[in-house]
Amino acid sequence: MKTEASNTYSRRFFIKSSSAFTTLAFIPNSVKSFFYQVKEKFFVKKQKIPLSVSINNKEYRLDVDTRTTLLDLLRENIGLTGTKKGCDHGQCGACTVHIDGERRLSCLTLTAMIPGKEITTIEGLAKDGKLHPMQEAFIENDGFQCGYCTPGQIMSAVACVQEGHTGSTEEIKEFMSGNLCRCAAYNGITRAIQKVAP
Amino acid sequence: MDYFFEKEVENNARGRVEAEEKVTGKAKYSAEYDIPELAHAVMVGSTIAAGRILNIDIANAKEAPGVIDILTHNNRPTVPGIATEEAWKKSRFSLPVFHTDKIYYNEQPIAMVIAETLEDATYAASLVTADYEESEFETNFKEERDSVETIETKEEKGSRENWQNADHIIEREFKIAMEVHNPMEPHATIADWKNGELTLYDKSQNVYGVQGNIAKLFDISENNIRVISEFVGGGFGSGLLVWPNTVVAIMASQHLNRPVKVVLTRPQMFTSVGHRPESWQRFKIGADKSGKFLGCYHQAKHATSSHTGHTDNITGLTWKHYHFPNIKTEQEEIPLNIPKPTWMRGPGDASGAFAIESIVDELCEKLDMDPVEVRLMNLSETDSQGKPWSTNYLNECLKIGAEKIGWNKNRKSKPGELKEGEWNIGYGMAVGFWNAGRQDADASIEMKPNGDIIVRSAMTDIGTGTGTAMQNMAHNFLGIPKNKIAIELGDSDLPYAPSQGGSWGLSSLSGGVAAACKSLKTKLVDLAYGSKFEKGKGNLKLVKLNSDGISMEDDSLEPVSYKSIFDKNNLGVLNVKASSSPREEAKKYGFCSSAAHYVKLKVNKLTGDIKILEMVSVADGGKIINDQAAANQVIGAAIGGIGMALMEKQDIDHNHGRLIGNDLAGYHFPCNADAPIIDVSFIDKPDYNRNPAGAKGLGEVGIIGCAAAITNAIYNATGKRMRDLPVTPDKILMA
Ligand code: FES
Ligand code: FES
Repeated sequence: MKTEASNTYSRRFFIKSSSAFTTLAFIPNSVKSFFYQVKEKFFVKKQKIPLSVSINNKEYRLDVDTRTTLLDLLRENIGLTGTKKGCDHGQCGACTVHIDGERRLSCLTLTAMIPGKEITTIEGLAKDGKLHPMQEAFIENDGFQCGYCTPGQIMSAVACVQEGHTGSTEEIKEFMSGNLCRCAAYNGITRAIQKVAP
Repeated sequence: MDYFFEKEVENNARGRVEAEEKVTGKAKYSAEYDIPELAHAVMVGSTIAAGRILNIDIANAKEAPGVIDILTHNNRPTVPGIATEEAWKKSRFSLPVFHTDKIYYNEQPIAMVIAETLEDATYAASLVTADYEESEFETNFKEERDSVETIETKEEKGSRENWQNADHIIEREFKIAMEVHNPMEPHATIADWKNGELTLYDKSQNVYGVQGNIAKLFDISENNIRVISEFVGGGFGSGLLVWPNTVVAIMASQHLNRPVKVVLTRPQMFTSVGHRPESWQRFKIGADKSGKFLGCYHQAKHATSSHTGHTDNITGLTWKHYHFPNIKTEQEEIPLNIPKPTWMRGPGDASGAFAIESIVDELCEKLDMDPVEVRLMNLSETDSQGKPWSTNYLNECLKIGAEKIGWNKNRKSKPGELKEGEWNIGYGMAVGFWNAGRQDADASIEMKPNGDIIVRSAMTDIGTGTGTAMQNMAHNFLGIPKNKIAIELGDSDLPYAPSQGGSWGLSSLSGGVAAACKSLKTKLVDLAYGSKFEKGKGNLKLVKLNSDGISMEDDSLEPVSYKSIFDKNNLGVLNVKASSSPREEAKKYGFCSSAAHYVKLKVNKLTGDIKILEMVSVADGGKIINDQAAANQVIGAAIGGIGMALMEKQDIDHNHGRLIGNDLAGYHFPCNADAPIIDVSFIDKPDYNRNPAGAKGLGEVGIIGCAAAITNAIYNATGKRMRDLPVTPDKILMA
């Protein structure tokens, strides 16, 4: 293991310099390469910050790499592998969790953004050893095949019902389209939500 | 519509055996095992399509925090099976990964960073650069294909001359874009090489295949390799072979003496684990006035990788489901600087069916006959070797499907006659067909004194419901209630099973489970009744295993509890294991699964948008072991067919030889709103010549023919023949 450089730059400095990056696109190449050299020298690649976060009603106090997404925090750091990585780019919905009760993509959420927020993952959905009605409905309606997209589908489905987007089959299908299922268990997913919807 | 939902299924009320693990997040996929000391690895791909690596600069990357080491062709441990060009060709492995300076395609792995955390590895991988000597490359299938002649795939049946004056002759060309499997779970491997023992948590559809291949490549004994693929997040064919990511993970673990995890990124999923190759077909069909097919001439070319081959048997289907007195088929592959293609759901046949089923539709129009009628009168009564079908209910599939969608009531035979505002409505149909194969498979059963059993097989469950099917079969063969039957699978320490592919998984496994059940019964009657039990005369069939003991259906012998059997014989547990192979008599028959697909859709006159309104699939998969899971398979395949027909296309930038669509925003497959609720039903008649459960595979027939059903419906809606997949709105507008 390499020893890590200490964090000597303020957040303000970080914001300023990252906006400097965004202007890079308009700068000629020679200047760009100069800037990259400067970047190599001055930017600390790896910083750890202390964070306390609440996941499934449990408090975690962690030293987190600032580059770590909520998804990787869950999967690689605290052993909650129920949340899945399908793309890491916000394109598939496999990583859907609830942040303060709303469905969010954990691959597009940096861990540094979540202190003070309540995170719920698939592991936190069942209460007191009893499955959530949506979990039951997915089982009964065979709303999956391989099961890899399933945690994301269920987290989205719970939110879909809460949001009131269950007026018709078409509406459910539309509001569940951010969650891809390559096995295409869409019949079962849709029916499971209909069974739970008011 | 509702076989899938409304039908009460006996004993099946609460879904699959592994359902709870899947809905609670407890199911562990390959990348999710918690192994102490695990290091993370990220592969770096080449940035040219062909040439040679002159130098790889890893200096900056090595300085990055957390980096443990970086593997390249300069420092990796030697893998005997790919150490030399000769060894590699012999091993037939897809790539001599890290054992060559040659570049065969863009994004070919050239280095791998191993670091303490995923973030460290990902960042450091971005710092690896390479200098190359570039050479000319070819990625353009369209440009290359004309320079290559097709060659005969098998001996011509009859002669082309016999039908050159047929009443109706049509000849057309068909194109299908390159498609990528893209299971939702990225391929992943954790390799843990300790004291000469290798444990692999590997995403695979074939644990024994991985074990055998790795043993050969690394020249170690199979006994020292354990492959675990307990939960597999989809495959569709991408998990049938061993790919470089598995091999480099092992190399790294061997090199560092630490467990190493390699997970492909989604962009890497496009270049690392196969694809359905881009293809071209020319199909010529002849028929007489009555609609009888007289002959066909089917040519196909498809892309392949220049460094290692792959054949998609696109013209195979031509010999199967229709009776042609004269057949000639030819194929050839076009080598390009692209990653290796591989089998993808309905390999070959899904491509071939698009051509056959489209041209038959066109022929029917010329004949002024109904497409269902013409198909019914041309169905083949034997397989391609002239053997009678053991069972083939395609005719029933055709009739039931037509009834369900209201083919005769609702469809207009002339295109463009059904309208709804700015939408044209159309109906289309086609059939799917697949050899119903079976392979050798073993299974074992462990029984406890309370009568609980565990049924074991190495077969994977990629979402098909293997485990649930094992439970259903064991219950049927033994009588033991399902809640006393546990299942273990997806592990090379378990009894042998072939790959889960080609729709033969369940068919093969049923033989193993039946044989193990028979051994268990035999052993139990022996222990319980000894010589009192009269062997033979089918007596074993009368033996019933209840929840707490064994009895005879005809009460000829006293019931005995398991507990007393175990006590009397001083047994802790009872173990049986058995093997199975396809029966000898099976050689007398041809075996097939089949399906009829019916589609209703609408096409927007102004935008070219296509919306599938209804889709009906009726399938003959022999005896259906688990209704819900079987229906789910066919639903998924049908929706895969929508993807193939309307969305899926991998583009290549021929200037740089790079794939363009390398993420799920650029490469589209159907989301929930892209598909209607699919209506699936089954013939559900057993074929006991195939296996003891009477089941025939269903994984492929669901997709084969779907694309043609959709394009035939597009024609019925608009009068436009679409012969180039996928049919995106621009193609409709330009046609
Ligand atoms: S992993 Fe987050 S959307 Fe795909
Ligand atoms: S169940 Fe396999 S991806 Fe959805």
